[in-house]
Amino acid sequence: MKCKKAERLLLRSFDGLLKTEEREELGKHLESCLSCQRKREDYQFMLDALKEKDFPEPRAYFWERLQAKLKERKRPEPLLLWKQWGMRAIPLSLLLIILLSAVLVFSFFQKKEELSQTGILLFQNSNPIQETKPLLEAEKFEDRNMMIIFTSLGEKTDSRRYSP
Amino acid sequence: MEEKELVELSKKGDEDAFAALVKKYKMKVFNLAFSFTRDEALADDLAQEAFIKAFLGLAKFRFKSEFGTWLYRITVNHAKDYLRKKSRMRKMPLENYRESQSVEEDEVTKKEKEQVMEQRKKLVHSCLQTLPEKYKVILTLRDIQGFSYEEISNVLKISPGTVDSRLHRARKVLREKLAPFLGEKGGIHEM
Repeated sequence: MKCKKAERLLLRSFDGLLKTEEREELGKHLESCLSCQRKREDYQFMLDALKEKDFPEPRAYFWERLQAKLKERKRPEPLLLWKQWGMRAIPLSLLLIILLSAVLVFSFFQKKEELSQTGILLFQNSNPIQETKPLLEAEKFEDRNMMIIFTSLGEKTDSRRYSP
Repeated sequence: MEEKELVELSKKGDEDAFAALVKKYKMKVFNLAFSFTRDEALADDLAQEAFIKAFLGLAKFRFKSEFGTWLYRITVNHAKDYLRKKSRMRKMPLENYRESQSVEEDEVTKKEKEQVMEQRKKLVHSCLQTLPEKYKVILTLRDIQGFSYEEISNVLKISPGTVDSRLHRARKVLREKLAPFLGEKGGIHEM
C-alpha cells in the first residue's frame, strides 16, 4: 500500500468508517512505515485537541431575553412602514406623471389655429383676390413696390395686408 | 407534543410552542455557535440571532428536512457571516504560541498539565481559524460537534461523498498548518 492511500484510510479510521480488511491493510502498512506512524500521532493529537469535553452554557434567561427581542422585531418600525408606503407611492406617482403629460400634450395640439387674413376672408365668403387687385392694377411701378413693402412690414401683425 | 406540531404552532405565532423548541435546541445551537467563535458571550448572541432568524423565517420552512437540521443550517450560515466580518477585522497571531510550549511535562504537576493541554487546544483552534471557510465549517461540524456525515451533508446541502473528501482535505490542511508546532513524535514541540 502507498502512503497516500494509507493516509486516506487513516483519516477515515478516525471516523470508524473502515471495513475489516481495510483496517488490517492499514495496520500492516503502519507497522512498517515510520512516516505514516508520525502522521497518525499528529492527527490523533489534532483531533483530541479539537474535541470539546466541557462546553460552556448559554447565559441565564435565554428564552426570556429571546422573547423580548422577538417582540421588538415583530413591532412594525415607522421607517419600515414609510418604506412600504413609499414603494406603493412610486407606481402611483409615475401614473400621475404620465396622465399629466398626456393632458398637456393633448391640450397643446388642441390649441386653436389662427386663421390667416386670406382664410378669414374666405371664411367670410369674400374674395381674397379682390384685396390684391389694387396692387396688380397699380400703373406706376413705384406705387406697386411701396404697396408690397407695406404689406411685408405688417406681416407679423393682424393687419399685414395692404389695405387701400 | 410532537416536534412537527410545535413547528406548525410556531408558524402561527404561538410563542409557547416556539419556547418549547428553543428549550430543546438551545444547547446544541449555542454549542455550535461557540465552536465557531470560542467566545461565550458572542456565542450566546449568535445563538439568539439564529433563533430569531428561524422564528421569522418559519413561514418558509416546508418540512423538507428535520427542523433541527434547518435550524443548524441557519446557525452555521449566521456563524459564517460573523466569521467573514471578523476575518476582515483581524487575523489571529500564531507566533505567540511557540514560547509557551517550552514545558518539561515530566516535571509539571497535574494542574500545569491541564494548562499545557489548554494551550495546545488554543493553538489548534487558532490554526483552525486560519483555514478557508469551507474547511473550518466542516471540521467544526465533524471534529468539534461530532455531527455524522449524513447530518453534515444535510446541514451544508452537499453530498456525503463531498463531505468525505472535504473533511479529508481539511484535516490534511490543518495538519500542514500545525506542522511547524508539531514535534518529532507527534504532538507539540518541547523546546
